[in-house]
Amino acid sequence: MTALLEVAHVSKKFGNDTKALSDVNFSVREGEFVSIIGPSGAGKSTLLRCINRMIDASSGEINFDNVNILSLNKRELKKTRTKIGMIFQHYNLVNRLTVIENTLHGRLGFKTTFAGMLGIYTEEEKQQAIKILNVLGLNEQIFKRSDQLSGGQKQRVGIARALIQNPRMLLCDEPIASLDPSSSKVIMDHLKNISVKMGITVLVNLHQVDVALKYSDTIIGINGGQVVYNGSPKNITPDDIHRIYGSEAGKLIFDMGEIHAG
Amino acid sequence: MEADEKIEKISSQTLISNSPSKRIRIRPLTKASLVLRGTLVVLVLLTAYTFYTIDVKDVNFVQGMIGTAKNVKVMFLEPHLSHFSFSHALYQVMITLGLAFLTTVFGAIIAVFLSLFAAQNLSSKRVSVVIKGFAAFIRAVPTVLWVLIFAVAAGLGSVAAVIGMTFHSISYLIKAYSESFEELDKGVIEALQASGASWWQIVFQAVIPSSISYMISWTFMRFEINFAVAVAMGAAAGAGGIGFDMFMASSFYYDIREIGAVTYFILVIAILLEVLATQIKKRLKVNI
Repeated sequence: MTALLEVAHVSKKFGNDTKALSDVNFSVREGEFVSIIGPSGAGKSTLLRCINRMIDASSGEINFDNVNILSLNKRELKKTRTKIGMIFQHYNLVNRLTVIENTLHGRLGFKTTFAGMLGIYTEEEKQQAIKILNVLGLNEQIFKRSDQLSGGQKQRVGIARALIQNPRMLLCDEPIASLDPSSSKVIMDHLKNISVKMGITVLVNLHQVDVALKYSDTIIGINGGQVVYNGSPKNITPDDIHRIYGSEAGKLIFDMGEIHAG
Repeated sequence: MEADEKIEKISSQTLISNSPSKRIRIRPLTKASLVLRGTLVVLVLLTAYTFYTIDVKDVNFVQGMIGTAKNVKVMFLEPHLSHFSFSHALYQVMITLGLAFLTTVFGAIIAVFLSLFAAQNLSSKRVSVVIKGFAAFIRAVPTVLWVLIFAVAAGLGSVAAVIGMTFHSISYLIKAYSESFEELDKGVIEALQASGASWWQIVFQAVIPSSISYMISWTFMRFEINFAVAVAMGAAAGAGGIGFDMFMASSFYYDIREIGAVTYFILVIAILLEVLATQIKKRLKVNI
């Protein structure tokens, strides 16, 4: 399999001396499920946002689908962004709109400015939205306002909004950080399904090491803006965990992980 | 032993030196509290001086009060229309309402677009500061003054009133709208940007739907203000409407009964507007 995403020598500086990322290298295959773990402030969110250029990297190269993302102009960038779905910790839905309207927002990048402004969608798009919502188990919520949903349901709407883009890749910024364990499991199962059945590459930022180990094909550990682990979850050792989290808390993390999973 | 005595001596000394001479202040005397007290004293002195030096001519204070009370009684307990009919008054109230409505609608439409560029999360900081600065300047000058300024070009009358009132409404609504836009969660904008949506799509699909109920209640608020201003404009700028009839009744015919009747007209309309506004807000909270 070829690499869908290649990140090479990417660095990001905020201001003059705050280095969020320094010389990050990794590549992701098509359909791979990758978890990025690391302590808070390690640069996980920055890395994810550099990939779809919500944040501009200071230097380096990001190749997605054989296109160097950093060299794109505004219009090409928008086009590329339609191929990359994004999911957020706080769901980021428009609360006052219905579930299906929020889902259809994923199509805005494909429409003319005017049609998008007025929210004119084709019947096919609407049918696809309903199909995706059904798959995600939201068939009863389709016409509900999204602020009436629970956290887990909102996140599923977030996934639906990303999926309707027909993306090649999903970027998930701590998708389960505000959810209870059972909703978290539902969301992670959906994400895993998406990567396995639809062949969509999934990149997830996670705080839960046990979840990352359970679901991922590959783990990328980040500390202080640098990749300190890149490999299969099977080979990861408590030593690696120590290096990623930069503390003696490896044991604690594993233990807490087991409690959470239960 | 000696050391103990010394300690006892010191502690008793400090106690003595502390207790009788100084009282404990609960509220410390800072610069700010001094300035506040100074201001209050100056104001009290000025008020006293004014009352002392006021020139009341031959008016007896008590008689004056009684006379005013009588006038108010006549005005509000014996209102009647003498120079125009009820239907004429109703028609004039409608004109005043029309003036308020027109200027609010003009103001709202223009303000929506300008406030998009004035909201810091949707526009660049420089553009936002410039627009907000202009709006603040326009707001600082009262509506009546703007009408009189535009009267230089348009002549005193309804045209100047419409332009001047629209002008002030725009700046007022820019502030109200842009602030409600700024309250929108940054993440929502980010989410749509990340899916490749354009700026106008984000505005119409996320920003405006999220703040529509704020926008409507602010617009209605401005409509109420504009109604009051439109009454004054009838008198001050000759813009017509019920305000002009009131002006004629008070300073031309000196008919205080008619003033009372007109006041009741305006009061009824104001109450109706208030009721309507509350109803609309209630519906908005449920539906949108």
